[in-house]
Amino acid sequence: MKDADRALVVAVTTRAVFDAAAGDVYGMGVAFPLLQSLQKVNERLLEKNPAESLLFDVVLIATDSQQQSSRIISSTSHYGLEVGRFCFSSREDLVETLVVNNVQLFLSTDRDEALQVSQKGVLSALLGRQEAPSESLRVMLCGDAIVRPDCDPVPASRGAAQSFSARLGEMRGRFGVSGSPLSIVLVTSSGGSKSCGVALQTLRSRGLSVDEAYCLAGAPRGPILSLLRPHFLLGDGVIDLED
Amino acid sequence: MVKMSLDPVQVKELNVSPSPNGDSRASWEEEEVEEEEEDRLGIATKTKPPKPENAVTVAVSSRVLFRTELEQRVFEQKGVEEYLRYQIEHENEPFAPGPAFPFVKALETVNARLRELYPQSEELFDIVLVTYNHAHVGIRLINTINHHNLFIERFCMTGGSSPIGYLKAWQTNLYLSADADKVREALAEGIAAATMFMTEKLTEVSESQLRVAFDGDAVLFSDESERIFKAHGLDKFFQHEQDNEDTLLDHGPLKGFLEALGKLQKKFYAKGQRLDCPIRTYLVTARSAASSGIRALKTLRAWGLEIDEALFLAGAPKGPMLEKIRPHIYFDDQMFHVEGAAEMGTVAAHVPYGVAQKHNQPQKPGARK
Repeated sequence: MKDADRALVVAVTTRAVFDAAAGDVYGMGVAFPLLQSLQKVNERLLEKNPAESLLFDVVLIATDSQQQSSRIISSTSHYGLEVGRFCFSSREDLVETLVVNNVQLFLSTDRDEALQVSQKGVLSALLGRQEAPSESLRVMLCGDAIVRPDCDPVPASRGAAQSFSARLGEMRGRFGVSGSPLSIVLVTSSGGSKSCGVALQTLRSRGLSVDEAYCLAGAPRGPILSLLRPHFLLGDGVIDLED
Repeated sequence: MVKMSLDPVQVKELNVSPSPNGDSRASWEEEEVEEEEEDRLGIATKTKPPKPENAVTVAVSSRVLFRTELEQRVFEQKGVEEYLRYQIEHENEPFAPGPAFPFVKALETVNARLRELYPQSEELFDIVLVTYNHAHVGIRLINTINHHNLFIERFCMTGGSSPIGYLKAWQTNLYLSADADKVREALAEGIAAATMFMTEKLTEVSESQLRVAFDGDAVLFSDESERIFKAHGLDKFFQHEQDNEDTLLDHGPLKGFLEALGKLQKKFYAKGQRLDCPIRTYLVTARSAASSGIRALKTLRAWGLEIDEALFLAGAPKGPMLEKIRPHIYFDDQMFHVEGAAEMGTVAAHVPYGVAQKHNQPQKPGARK
């Protein structure tokens, strides 16, 4: 198990990772590319520094009684996924499970689930759809909440969001400008170039350097999002990446 | 000797007097007055950028909107990390205006006039900065935009990946870049695009009227006639044009942009502002009015496109004529003409389209077409 203090603990539901299928091994779900990308980042970090402690620590959480624990574990090893911990919990105990496991980011495909979790103070995000494997882990940050924190739809998890982005920034800083296995993408939906500038400066002051920036100033988000194909989107409460 | 034959229908007298170019090219040493900036902010918050589908979207790259030669050299000589470090170090130093700057300022002038006449309308120019620069340069670019009082609220900094997808997502009507490869990519996707270059000499342009000049073949029209000229020579070209006088030319990559300009012009005409219209378009072609020019004019007419002035040079150099017109931008498919225009201080943009791209030799001056 990774160094508890330094690792970035990311929890994903098994429902998102695996598709229910007949047979001993589950099919690959929506979160599959994400896990592979997280793994890639860890590999590159360890390449640079075998003693690196700032790594992603993946926790798989099963709340779905339909999925069998044995098949979850065997599927995980079948695909060679590196999972730090398995937690077999229930829907009611989900938040507690996350807190007990020191989860810094919870990822789900279920909007209600993600919202419920973030309202309890655990940073949560919806997973994006990846049609093709990506070269890097693409994390999208929504700048609007950064610029106007009063308009943050989920103030409870704001603190968690800030500390996560600082750690993420530290991790990003381990790599150079090009060829990084981790890309940070900033999108501001409303507000003009000035507010995007404020977001860039705020993030920089938190230690997070952004790779790509898109200022939409009210233009529809859909076409841009489908080009950007983030693995997940942070900082906008919980929004639907399909919007 | 430049001989210009007059077509009784379309060609008008040139009565262009260049206006002094005061602040449309703000020197980056100028101090911004505090009050002006607040007022600017006030305006900015009141006017929202239009929806992409309603607007005429012009995407410009940072290298053509501003002067970044020094930074380019740092990039080429010392690599990307050093380049970004340099940019961040100089973050509070705005870039100087680049070749596309006067054009963008003129678009904003048109917008101001359109807003006066049609306060609710979203049929405006929308200027988007599309750069494959890294977001580390973002703060310097935004500072520069603010410094020059540009109304650019939308941008894409793609951090190195191709901006073409974003051009399509923004429904871009025109893309201007310093990178010929990106421009070719855009043209291949059906987006009007041209490469711009920095020139040392820049003549003053109007602050109150946007002037856009186009070459004919391989810009507004397809390159079919140029193909014949290059393959078979002048006589065959003339014959072909005569035989096909009543056949429309096929459209070229910039036709759509001329069309978009025409739609905005009509909005001024509808309010009785034809004489005072802040948009003026020019055709500057090597064709000759009495012969091969007729087909060009018939084609424009059939397309329902008005062009304010058509200048048939019959093969004479374009530089002097452009120097009189003083367009904010001139589109041509041949580098020979782009360079000739630039020598005389006209901002010319190269459209890398059609058969001319395979021929690198400059045309002999005086070749009649």
